[in-house]
Amino acid sequence: MKETRRASVWAWLWFILGMLYFFIPLVATFEFSLRMLKGRYTFEAYRVAFTDPRFLQSFGYSLLWATLTIIFSMLLVVPTAYWVHLRLPKVRPWVEFVTLMPFVVPAVVLIFGLIRLYGHPPLVLTSTPILLIVGYTVLSLPYMFRSVDSGLRAIDVRTLTEAAQSLGAGWPTILGQVIFPNLRVGILSGVFLTFAIVMGEFTFAALLSWPAFGPYIEEIGSMRAYTPQAVSVLSFAVTWLSIGLIQWVGRGSGAQTQVAGTR
Amino acid sequence: MAYLQLAHLSKSFGGPAAVDDFDLAIEKAEFVSLLGPSGCGKTTTLRMVAGFEVPDQGRILLDGNDITEMPPNQRHLGMVFQAYALFPNMTVADNVGFGLKVAKRPKDQITKRVEEMLGLIKMPKLGDRYPYQLSGGQQQRVALARALAISPQVLLLDEPLSALDAKIRVELRVEIRRIQQELRITTLYVTHDQEEALSLSDRVVVMSAGHMEQVGSPSEIYNFPNTPFVASFVGTLNQLRCKVVDVGQGKLSYNDQVFETRAPVRGAQGDTVTVMLRPEQMHIGSLSDENQLTGKVEMVTFLGSIVRVRVGLGQATVVLDLLNKRSLELPRVGEPITVSFPPHACWVMAEA
Repeated sequence: MKETRRASVWAWLWFILGMLYFFIPLVATFEFSLRMLKGRYTFEAYRVAFTDPRFLQSFGYSLLWATLTIIFSMLLVVPTAYWVHLRLPKVRPWVEFVTLMPFVVPAVVLIFGLIRLYGHPPLVLTSTPILLIVGYTVLSLPYMFRSVDSGLRAIDVRTLTEAAQSLGAGWPTILGQVIFPNLRVGILSGVFLTFAIVMGEFTFAALLSWPAFGPYIEEIGSMRAYTPQAVSVLSFAVTWLSIGLIQWVGRGSGAQTQVAGTR
Repeated sequence: MAYLQLAHLSKSFGGPAAVDDFDLAIEKAEFVSLLGPSGCGKTTTLRMVAGFEVPDQGRILLDGNDITEMPPNQRHLGMVFQAYALFPNMTVADNVGFGLKVAKRPKDQITKRVEEMLGLIKMPKLGDRYPYQLSGGQQQRVALARALAISPQVLLLDEPLSALDAKIRVELRVEIRRIQQELRITTLYVTHDQEEALSLSDRVVVMSAGHMEQVGSPSEIYNFPNTPFVASFVGTLNQLRCKVVDVGQGKLSYNDQVFETRAPVRGAQGDTVTVMLRPEQMHIGSLSDENQLTGKVEMVTFLGSIVRVRVGLGQATVVLDLLNKRSLELPRVGEPITVSFPPHACWVMAEA
């Protein structure tokens, strides 16, 4: 009894320390963003940010990149993870290892590799947004794969597939009507994480010279004082909204798990 | 020509053969069970029929057509799985109608067929429920309806009752047989439960280590097992190691107590043989014209309709079943006892 109480006191202490570490800079940023007009708190910095046409433009571009990345990575990851579960379970650790590469290889290294490889003939892709989308897909792989993978582990993939097959269904029907709908929660958490990552990403867009929200924040950060803080707070809000949506779609469906958690 | 012909099927997964030269002809509307312990190859055989595995050797003929290498979604067979495998994202009605929807049948036809199927499984009002709202037994009924909705040529069931409670299992067993006979559908049923196989089937195939041990009606399998494996796997069997006294007259001795058998005895005088007896063939007390052995009561288990008595006979113990009656006086543990059995009940096997 005493032991557990002491443990819980320590747990709370560390939890509070962690939260302070996390929240103090955020609160400070927010507080600073409100001080654009001397002597009082206003949302003037936010008004300025919203009235800058480049804000909306870069935000719009990031939305577009995020959407394309989500579509591409869904089409890549869901069938791959499904096939690995169904037919190649032994390969799973390797696939998982590959999807973790973005944690090991820095984005800068990855993008320079892509530029070197596709910057000159025979295949020049640097003038198209393909490299950007592919790069973002790689960045989001660890999250997308794990979300889908844990979703697949929560259902009996093989038996459901065989049941559908015995009823006459071909692969498109099985994927579209049986597997995708039952992975809804897993796929959606992957989608929102991908969205959050792409919305705030800087390196890829900057080095490939495509307009995006990340480079925009960086650019105005070097020119102005208050607006960048406001935009940063907005960027955080987008991320939190995504995480909130993950929690929301995952609620109540006890059989399915979210994000990268193991069961 | 048989309706479903499994001709010399063999399959291995890299090790010893999972199925070895499986050869069986199934008639239309027949109910055949594959019975055996886990790893005997019964599920692999069923999966080859379903198309989920391709045999290394042999052919599968359905109504005269070779379907050995046909993909599973073109075979038009209904399959029921141990794990129910209902689609969690669909209602009961959508599950049952899935095969028809895939076949692009008109909507009103699907609705009608789904209703008919839900009536067949006696769940007419539960069409808009989701699988997670149903009990295991109900889910398996729905799975059965789903498999039958497409009017399959053959119904395949892979241990469909193994995940259910004992009571539901017996109920659903009766239902499966009723529906099978009502629709006169050719059925292949895989189970490790001998009671299921015996009670459901027209014919039982007992399998062990990839090959067929015996094929026969339930009573043939139980009363006239061909091999020691079948004898010991199906039902309870008492085994006594005896000495041969007289080959010609079928005389054997156990612990110096001589008795007779009608079964042919192989071996010379003084050889050791094993005598096998079903528990229900043995009685308590001495009956004229029957063999007698004496021993001591070790345990009495009251099972309702029968009472199972374990009797120590020197080195060996045997169990015997008494039909329960109100007038039955239960033997007491530790009592000396005489057990008797008719000579024709013995089955004799030479020692290997």
